[in-house]
Amino acid sequence: MADSSTSSPVVDIRSFEMRFGAKDVIKDLSFAVNQGEVFGFLGANGAGKTTTIRTLLSLLEPTGGTLLVHGKRYDPSMTAMVGYLPEERGLYRNEPILDTMVYFAVLHGLKRSDATARALAYLDRVGLGDKAKERLINLSNGQQQKIQLGVTILHEPSLMILDEPTASLDPVNRSLLMDLVSEQRAKGATVMLVTHRMEEVEQLCDRILIMKDGVSAAYGTVNEVKDASGAKVIEVAYTGTLPQNDALYAITSRLPHSAELAWKKNVAVDDVFRFLAGVAGLHVTTFNVRRPTLNEIFLELYKGQPAPDTGN
Amino acid sequence: MWNVIIFEVLRALKKKSFWVASFMPPLIVLAVFGVEYFSVNASKSSSAQLAQTSSVSTKIAALDDSGLVSQKLLAAGHIAIEPTKGAGIAAVASGGLGAFLYYPADVSTSGIQIYAQDQGIGQTPYNDLATNLLKQSVAAEVSAAIPTSTQAVTILENAPAVTVTTYKNGVQTPGFAGAIAPGFFAVAFFLLIILLSPVMISSTAEEKENRASEILLTSIKAGDLIGGKMISILILGAVQSVAIIAPIVIALLRFPALLQGISLSSIPLDPGAIAIGALFLAAGFALYTGLIMGVGSMIPGTSTANRFMGIFIIWVFVPLYTISLVITDPRNVAVTILTYFPLTAPTMVLLRNALGSLSLGDAAIAFAIVAATAAFTVWFAVRAFRYGSMEHGRRISLKELLH
Repeated sequence: MADSSTSSPVVDIRSFEMRFGAKDVIKDLSFAVNQGEVFGFLGANGAGKTTTIRTLLSLLEPTGGTLLVHGKRYDPSMTAMVGYLPEERGLYRNEPILDTMVYFAVLHGLKRSDATARALAYLDRVGLGDKAKERLINLSNGQQQKIQLGVTILHEPSLMILDEPTASLDPVNRSLLMDLVSEQRAKGATVMLVTHRMEEVEQLCDRILIMKDGVSAAYGTVNEVKDASGAKVIEVAYTGTLPQNDALYAITSRLPHSAELAWKKNVAVDDVFRFLAGVAGLHVTTFNVRRPTLNEIFLELYKGQPAPDTGN
Repeated sequence: MWNVIIFEVLRALKKKSFWVASFMPPLIVLAVFGVEYFSVNASKSSSAQLAQTSSVSTKIAALDDSGLVSQKLLAAGHIAIEPTKGAGIAAVASGGLGAFLYYPADVSTSGIQIYAQDQGIGQTPYNDLATNLLKQSVAAEVSAAIPTSTQAVTILENAPAVTVTTYKNGVQTPGFAGAIAPGFFAVAFFLLIILLSPVMISSTAEEKENRASEILLTSIKAGDLIGGKMISILILGAVQSVAIIAPIVIALLRFPALLQGISLSSIPLDPGAIAIGALFLAAGFALYTGLIMGVGSMIPGTSTANRFMGIFIIWVFVPLYTISLVITDPRNVAVTILTYFPLTAPTMVLLRNALGSLSLGDAAIAFAIVAATAAFTVWFAVRAFRYGSMEHGRRISLKELLH
């Protein structure tokens, strides 16, 4: 593991602004990723996540603000500290897998002999031990993704930036890859995770930031974000006909005799219950209040926007 | 940078296509040498033998109105005599004769006429026979007229060797042999560009196509990466050059006749011309490598990039079309323009350097231009890779690149 013993944030982004031509892509974005945490960096496609990461890693120059890794502007001489799995996946398709893994590991600062040993061990671990001499192009998408993650973590970086690491993986391999990430975290690595899978975020992330239209829409621990959303969900089971009441709540899902309601801010939960059981005349059998899931918060944030495109 | 060099060189050396590209040119050259060598040997056969061989296998007739052709030779070659030109032509046309050789009265000015069965375009099996019959007949006549002069006959049969001694600024110059050493750099430049331009363009286009550039650029500085790739291309060029030159050297040693009288040890080595050749080879190589690698980073993929490559490579060959001007009138304005235009300067200077028509002033100015352009194209390659290679599947414009 590369040394990163410092009390300052591993990633420190302040007042970051990015403009492409006349378009403001990122506006006054500030956040920090602390040592040893898994940080969820969320947002719909086009929200500005990849631009932020590329600028953090000096692939792009910011229009304004500072973006620091371990207190410094990133440059490739710091590559041993950072493992980057980009959204745009790609390795040498026509080269043997082992050669490619060793090449990148050596570029990340490992000795060739160490790189070879680690690459072979990794391939065994992910079930590709017999594919070391195969060309990447001959592997399935999922297998290629494992190689890509291997290239990212082989040198055991202190900061891993993973952009959609489990995209296009089946559940078994998704679990395997998340285990690998968890192992790195257990060794002390800091993880900056970009994903659209909210269950992964809830499972892994200590803190999150949700971006929307180039600005921070929510930032903090998962619970802080949930609390800050101000929204709660009522799970209600009943007999009768559930009426609409735009003043009190919105029906987020409905089955024949149960529903989930997101009630409006500044409305007391008691008012909702009194309306349902009294005015609406429902026979309420269960009435449970819970905090919204991250997925619900995410959907609420992006409510009314067209479905995001697949690019970024 | 060394890691890049090792990786790039090894992966190229492991490819069959690299070795095919390396050995194909020398094999072709060897084949050409072989054909030429055996052709030269074959041409040494005597005309009498030729006549005999030809007449035995094919029915040939002749008519000599010039009175120069020896009737004995015709008889020895089993060549019949036709009474008139018309009869001979008619015999060929009807298929009765394989060939009819007609020597008109004014053969020295109007030439020999051959009428023969068509054996395909370019097939002229009777040319040598007809010519040699005439030459040997005339030689025999001269020999009879001037019995003491064997030289006259020899000169008639074979053109005498010519030795040219040239002077420049009052000093004797080495002539054609002097072009060999500096000419090596011109040949090397052509070979490097022709053989390696696909490697140059794919070295960056492939990264873009494979989408590997984003990880690479966070792992190594773009300048180091491009520098490493350029050096690896140079190493691969050296490997290919050895693969090409070694068989040629072996062929020359094995068949010294191909050197046409030039002794390898007598080839003059002018340090000034060699230094100019080496400088322009290096600067020209850097110029084109930077340019082509930069283009590779801007274009979406290798196949598209290959189509664009020709636009730039053509400039390497443009000076070849003015080679006669370079020889006869090196101060011509076209030669001067091509000497100073950055994309043609390497070729033009290397040609002029080999042909001995390059002044030191021209060399200095052209080198400043080529070196400055090379520095720009290398900078351009780095910037294009830095900003263009991440634009996967898209061609970026120069405006975007320089923004």
